[in-house]
Amino acid sequence: MDKLKGILRALLQPLLAIVVGLGAGAIAIAIVGGSVTETYAEMWKGAFGSFYFFTNTLSRATPIMLIGLGVALAFRAGFFNMGSEGQMVLGALSAAVTAIYLPGPAWFKLVAALLAGVIAGGLWSAFAGWLDARFRMNLLITTLLLNYIASLFAGYVVSYPLMDRSGSAAMAQTVMVDKSVWLPKLFQGMSLHAGFLFALIGAIALAWFMRYMVKGYEIRMMGGNPLFASYGGVNRGRLMLYSMFVSGGFAGLAGAGEVLGTQYRYLDGALTSPGYAWSGIMATLLAGSNPLGTALAAILLAALQTGGMGVERNTDVPLEVSSIIQAVLILFISAKFTYSFFKKKKKAGA
Amino acid sequence: MLLQMNKITKSYGALKANSEVDFSLRKGEIHALVGENGAGKTTLMRILYGMETPTSGSIVVNGKQVAFHSPSDAINSKIGMVHQHFMLFPTFTISENIVIGREPAKTARFDRKQAALITEQLGTSYGMPVDPWKKVEDCSLGLQQRVEILKVLHQGAEIIILDEPTAVLTPLEVKELLIAIKRLAAQGKSFILISHKLQEIMDVADRITVLRDGKLSGMVNAADTSIEELSRMMVGRELLDLHKEAPARGEKVLEAVQLTIKGEHGKPKLDQVSLSVHAGEIVGIAGISGNGQSELLQAISGLAPVDSGKALLRGRDVTGKSVRSIREQGLAHIPEDRYQWGVAKDATVLENGLMGHARRYQRGGVLRGAAIRQLVSGWVEHFGIKTGSIHTKAQYLSGGNLQKLIVARELAQETPFLIAAEPTRGVDIGAMEIIHGELLKRRADGGAILLVSSELTEILKLSDRVLVMNEGRIVGELPGLTATEEEISLLMAGG
Repeated sequence: MDKLKGILRALLQPLLAIVVGLGAGAIAIAIVGGSVTETYAEMWKGAFGSFYFFTNTLSRATPIMLIGLGVALAFRAGFFNMGSEGQMVLGALSAAVTAIYLPGPAWFKLVAALLAGVIAGGLWSAFAGWLDARFRMNLLITTLLLNYIASLFAGYVVSYPLMDRSGSAAMAQTVMVDKSVWLPKLFQGMSLHAGFLFALIGAIALAWFMRYMVKGYEIRMMGGNPLFASYGGVNRGRLMLYSMFVSGGFAGLAGAGEVLGTQYRYLDGALTSPGYAWSGIMATLLAGSNPLGTALAAILLAALQTGGMGVERNTDVPLEVSSIIQAVLILFISAKFTYSFFKKKKKAGA
Repeated sequence: MLLQMNKITKSYGALKANSEVDFSLRKGEIHALVGENGAGKTTLMRILYGMETPTSGSIVVNGKQVAFHSPSDAINSKIGMVHQHFMLFPTFTISENIVIGREPAKTARFDRKQAALITEQLGTSYGMPVDPWKKVEDCSLGLQQRVEILKVLHQGAEIIILDEPTAVLTPLEVKELLIAIKRLAAQGKSFILISHKLQEIMDVADRITVLRDGKLSGMVNAADTSIEELSRMMVGRELLDLHKEAPARGEKVLEAVQLTIKGEHGKPKLDQVSLSVHAGEIVGIAGISGNGQSELLQAISGLAPVDSGKALLRGRDVTGKSVRSIREQGLAHIPEDRYQWGVAKDATVLENGLMGHARRYQRGGVLRGAAIRQLVSGWVEHFGIKTGSIHTKAQYLSGGNLQKLIVARELAQETPFLIAAEPTRGVDIGAMEIIHGELLKRRADGGAILLVSSELTEILKLSDRVLVMNEGRIVGELPGLTATEEEISLLMAGG
């Protein structure tokens, strides 16, 4: 009974945010002179209207889910990991390079490439954690700034040493990964690839881990009250590096999945311009760092984006309506954020 | 009669926090309100101060019926409240804190000099002088409380509610406060005093109202009652006389050798402290808080790095070891500040109870849910912890019940050595009785306990030996049987 009430209360805020977001979108649609019902119908069709669109949405949700899960883990541990983008980019680059240049059988290359992605993302994230533990550098700032280093470094690598010079178009990208190393598509002719299964399994595994494993318990307690955790014998430094590594590993896996399942090469900007990392962070915030909720929120956000494309294809309403809805969503989530922050402050002062 | 509260009832759903409670206050009177945690004292006072509206019942001030909807209504009726946790702005001066809301102004400009003057006059006229220009963050807790009282007086209060005013004060400050209250009462101010400390109440109060389970348990004149009778009225039964067996001192369990922690300005926070605790012994550390007790405990338990010296637990050097390895070597720890160290407020009772036990209640890294639930439920039953369920968040438990949970958790570690820091701070008599009983039982079972408390009665009641700390050093050792409060107080003050 109490549990049910708790779940309902936890759901109320994100649902309210979504409703208000859609309301704001409706106003924007009305202002540009579109029909609200027609536009939303198109948006629904664009996201879920057919099996093709539905798998397309899930495909877009895949990296968002994985990144969101990583961020959720870090949040639960009490760390603000804003560096998913860089972690994803390095994961993607490492996966591409491994898949292209590592000798051996195809299955071996595939596994190694995925692992390389996880490890690269994890190390980049743990590096920020180490900077905090060793030099007390603010994690929020370091993770954010390390994004630039990672993206620009990857851009350099594919513009100079590893640039694809085989084709006629001189783009900043690696050569294509051999077809035998690709992640399989889940359905013939659809864009959805096996990475989605990783994301699903990851969400369930993370939920289970946080709830039933000793380490998950320690991570949650550290996030709840770090002094309490260290008083109880939890080694903060070690657990922080561990959580940051896993958090970044999820982002790295997201990047590796996109390279091996969608792009088949590392193409500069292909992962950063759709804003996967920021959508992932949004999904986490929307779900209050609940792993299963994060997965759901990721699908919702992806649906808004793919639905927005449907709207643009079939009506005169511009794609940006989706962005408005997302922006209002963020606003309301951050309202919850500051609201609970002030409540805490008030309590501390009372 | 200055104030009359008639048949006040306050329900939260099915729970009745107050049930037909009567309360009255005469002019110039000090009326104490006592009761266990959760007996409804705070609710009653929140109603009087306009922070809650009663479900039924009436409030009459100066013969006029009133209905308060906010604290400002209460303030307008000349009722003021000093909360248990002070509500001051630390970075502002004393006078700025006192005149807040009623600032003297020259046209639109805040007149600081006038504010200081007002503050100075206020202080002298009520016999509580303060330095108006001093910043609150530089003031001792006793002085901050004086500022709070002056602030309420400046608001024109005739009725002053004091919620647990002595909880954070040193013995000397308590004495000063009680004298000040008596003097103000003689000048015609009326006080409502909420407190757990029955001795202080007997010293200062005219009448005493006792609440139990939200109902009026009795109202007596202080002159006609005794601490024993009050305890009985609060708890609803006779308190057990704690039986303290003769000490059976065993081998040395903990030994600290010249532990030192450097401070920021050359003055050490912990200065070459050496002590030992034997099996079957409670060693009490008395001292005004902030004289190195926290640092000592943190040094022993591995929470703070030590600059020199060492700590031996069961013969093994544990200096600089991790908290976990020290705990595994045989230490359990009831922390002095339960909210800072002892719990995660957003976590459930179950999760808070699991801390330190997780390593034992697991199989291959997976928590053994059923066994853990059984463990924590057992504590809830044994210690009478009032909680909705073991899945209730810790933040919804009262301070006393949370403390019982922490004590249960740490006792259950069944370690040869136990640190008990302020084990009964803010806890009611019933819970205190349980906690003290458990500590003595542990002692009888051959446990070694290091007790740190700012309550001298607690130190004297439990300790076999009393060590007194002052400015990071141990300045005296007294046998627990014969030590007196006066002796200890003198040493605490550095005399």
